[in-house]
Amino acid sequence: MSITAEQTTDAKAKVPKRHVSRLRLRYTLIGWSFILPNFVGFVLLTLIPVVTVFYMSLTNWNIFGSSQFIGLDNFVRLAGDSSFHSAFGNTLYFAVLHIPLTIAVSLGLALLLNSKLRGVAFFRTAAFFPYITSIVAIALVWNLLLSPQYGPVNQVLGFLGLQNPPGWLTSSDWAMPAVVVVETWRRMGYYMVLFLAGLQTVPRELHEAARTDGANALQRFRHVTLPALRPTMFFVTVMLTIESLKILDLIIVLTDGGPGQATTVIAQFIWTKGFEENQFGYSSAASVVLFLLCLIVTIIQFLWNKRKAV
Amino acid sequence: MKRTSTAVVGIAVAALALTGCSGGGGTASGGDENTLTVSGWSLSTTPEFQLLADGFEAQHDGVTVKLVEYDPTDYNTLLTADLAAGKGPDVITQKEVKYLPTFQQGGQLLDVSDVTLPEGIGGADSYKVDGTAYATPYRQDSWVLYYNKALFDEAGVDYPDGSWTWDDYADAADALKSGFEDAGVKATPIYQHSWQSTVQGFAAAQTGSDLLAGDYGYLKDYYQRVLDLQENGDQVPYNTVMANKLTYQGEFGKQSAAMMPMGTWFTATLVSQQESGEADDFEWGIAPVPQLDDSTTGTDATPVTFGDPTGFGVNANVSDEKAQLAKEFLEYAASEDAAKALAGIGITPALLNDAVTEAYFNVEGTPQDDLSKFALSTHETLPENPADENTAAIQNILNDLHTAVLSGSQDIDSAIADAEGRVANEVG
Amino acid sequence: MSETKMLITPPSPRKRAAGGQATGAGTPQRKIGRALLYVLLIAAAAALLLPFFWMVMSSLKDANSVFSVPIHWIPEIFVWDNYVEIWQKSDILVWIRNTVVVSVGVTFLQVTTGSFAAYGFSRIRFRGRDALFLLYVATIAVPWQSYMIPQFIMLSNAGLANTLWSILLLQAFGAFGVFLMKQYYETIPEELSEAARLDGLSEYGIWARIMVPLSIPAIASLALLTFVNTWNDFLGPLIYLRDPSLWTMQLGLNNFVSSLYNVDYGVLFAGLVISVVPIAIIFLLGQRYFVEGIATSGMKG
Repeated sequence: MSITAEQTTDAKAKVPKRHVSRLRLRYTLIGWSFILPNFVGFVLLTLIPVVTVFYMSLTNWNIFGSSQFIGLDNFVRLAGDSSFHSAFGNTLYFAVLHIPLTIAVSLGLALLLNSKLRGVAFFRTAAFFPYITSIVAIALVWNLLLSPQYGPVNQVLGFLGLQNPPGWLTSSDWAMPAVVVVETWRRMGYYMVLFLAGLQTVPRELHEAARTDGANALQRFRHVTLPALRPTMFFVTVMLTIESLKILDLIIVLTDGGPGQATTVIAQFIWTKGFEENQFGYSSAASVVLFLLCLIVTIIQFLWNKRKAV
Repeated sequence: MKRTSTAVVGIAVAALALTGCSGGGGTASGGDENTLTVSGWSLSTTPEFQLLADGFEAQHDGVTVKLVEYDPTDYNTLLTADLAAGKGPDVITQKEVKYLPTFQQGGQLLDVSDVTLPEGIGGADSYKVDGTAYATPYRQDSWVLYYNKALFDEAGVDYPDGSWTWDDYADAADALKSGFEDAGVKATPIYQHSWQSTVQGFAAAQTGSDLLAGDYGYLKDYYQRVLDLQENGDQVPYNTVMANKLTYQGEFGKQSAAMMPMGTWFTATLVSQQESGEADDFEWGIAPVPQLDDSTTGTDATPVTFGDPTGFGVNANVSDEKAQLAKEFLEYAASEDAAKALAGIGITPALLNDAVTEAYFNVEGTPQDDLSKFALSTHETLPENPADENTAAIQNILNDLHTAVLSGSQDIDSAIADAEGRVANEVG
Repeated sequence: MSETKMLITPPSPRKRAAGGQATGAGTPQRKIGRALLYVLLIAAAAALLLPFFWMVMSSLKDANSVFSVPIHWIPEIFVWDNYVEIWQKSDILVWIRNTVVVSVGVTFLQVTTGSFAAYGFSRIRFRGRDALFLLYVATIAVPWQSYMIPQFIMLSNAGLANTLWSILLLQAFGAFGVFLMKQYYETIPEELSEAARLDGLSEYGIWARIMVPLSIPAIASLALLTFVNTWNDFLGPLIYLRDPSLWTMQLGLNNFVSSLYNVDYGVLFAGLVISVVPIAIIFLLGQRYFVEGIATSGMKG
């Protein structure tokens, strides 16, 4: 493994004049040697198919055989497609509710469980359970819990004196908030694990220094924990954003996009157009729009992160 | 930066080359001329495929029929993937009619107009695109009304007699409800499953409406009736069906409901579940579905219902010899011999003449009354899904209407207006 | 070097900090606070475990009492037959073996190639690095179902469809691991690497001797999340694995249940409980690595 490095070191010693460019070449080689094992698999298995999607979005491909190049027609059609509009709106609605809620809850859990409390192992495992419980079971249980007539949730609300409890998954106004709650509940253990790992990089000495300076818990959190957590926070925010914009599996099992179109999201639109209506070209165009949406949000987060890092 | 972008372009070219050359042909069975691969699903509980395979092998010496099993719920997705990769079966079973136009347009199906079909077979037209047949039917389910005779007796209500309109059906439900209350029976008069076809299929067929025309006013009365029945407690509310994941097999088989509109495929399931003890042991019968008005009621008329056939198509990528063998399989599956064999395991064949009907009711556990025989054999069955490239998209829009209306989150008039607007805007 | 030292010395015992607080806040108050915290945690744990509890209880019911109105949390009669049935009538051992093979393989490849590539992205400057990294992250944004078919066609042409290799390859080289590890490496002070370079360690040596030991919490969380995702994946195996001898747990269960006349949720949940237990055990045993990585690793010399 270290042979490459030694060879380049020799080369550098022989030609001191072209030291800088040699050094640059050396670093490029070393850099690529690190990346290559993963990169080969990534190119073959992910990048090539993904690039194909971009090309297909400019065609009328129906999955079988040849396809015709139709330029931007698919995108023009998307712009006027009312189903796509509502899927787009629903996706943003979901993301706007889901992202802050999940960050708050999972970070809170991680802070709480990053301690030496008795039984902390049990609580950490409990927090992770929703993520490992089968999604089929989750959908079934939440459907029962949120059942408008007989569900325990509404029974409790009725007991508390609420006259007209919402219909949750059966109401077009409440279905999306209900989906958000279930998804947050399901994923918080997942993001808690990431935050827990990130919290290990927070220097404890700094914490104690701040404590001796008389900073209260909130101040210590803002000025010590949060800055140290920045790379993790960036990772979590980017992943959470992308995964929120791509949400599909829970929606399929919980509401299947209903009632009506109340919870239909972009990823479901892509699935329906592709696999139920076999318009893969059109479906690919919707994927490209979703991709661009994710990319814009990610670049904003990237730049913001860079600015904060300075 | 520059290097990365050239790399991306290179990759794109490679990708196109890779996918471009993949469309060209080949099937799972490859070159073996005496082996025919046929796609199927849930082979252990769907014995019809093995039955047809055995029957065909018995007629053709040296020929082997190999069944390729797919997941039942993702049948279309998996089949699409295999066809796209050139690994599809020789005989492509058409589970749902609405996907046929896609396979046909994608050049995956051979013209099978030259396969001779017996006189009077149902459902063949469902597979015709511009007059050319791309598949042939072997079974044709249609929707009937299953009812529990024991529960009717307990409530003291007369059995259906074939003369019912939907109003009579609602009256019977009311009578059953008060009968159950008096007798202290814990059952609901009607179970209607959550599918959109349980409302829309009847509405389209009985009002003679065209799904593709883009005008859905005909749905209104049918939805209003269902909403009223839910409201009165005559049937299990849609939201409960969804929240509690009720199954129609369980609701009818465990005697939670006295009447249930359902496709004739349920007969085979009910018979076998009663035999195995999964369902209760009780007397039941089949009646024609309630009609829109008097003109089609009574046993001297022909009731109107709906249903789609199940059939076989031939993979366009097979060799000429293999295509010939596959067409012989299609011919066999549609024949009277095959129909009788299918009827013998409780399947409703596409060919339903007297001999076939007799075989159907010879199955142990099927009802023996005349109305059941009439209901199975006499009906005008209109297709639920016309063979058109827009059918799948329209059905998806109408499914949104269905969930919005029955969940109570939108009133029927605005839901119909929305659906009409979307069909005009998004389809075609 | 002071930062380095801080990172690699075990954290100071908590007792000291707790003691310091106690003198100021008063012990009874602190006790009440702690009790309240436990009440809160136990309530939260109950809410989190409720569906799992329901699943376990339902796996002990017969098919028709799973969905009763109103909900019965505890079965009236415990039906252990569901477990017997799935154990005897299905190939559950084959499914478990396949799932273990795939999950372990994917996790191993994801962690090794991911953390290796992450070092290249975070510690070595070369042309096009940031653009390449953005490309990695950007592909996460493309939903799998939109490139699933092109990918299937490629792997199919390569003769890999319907083999366990397809699932292994599919999941092993995702951008997720690279991204996660890169972010973690960036929190490790550059001075550590510099010092090691002066000591004559190659970049590979730095990765192996310094970065990997210091990033145990990140590696543990990456390994766990990858393992769980592969273990529970349904759509990938569904598309690629047709041969019953290759089925994974999720695929096999789905097939087993849908081959019954109607879904027997009692049996399904028995299978799902069996499939959750290994992950729960792995998590319970492994969770301390999320928080103890740095304290126990340290640097030799």
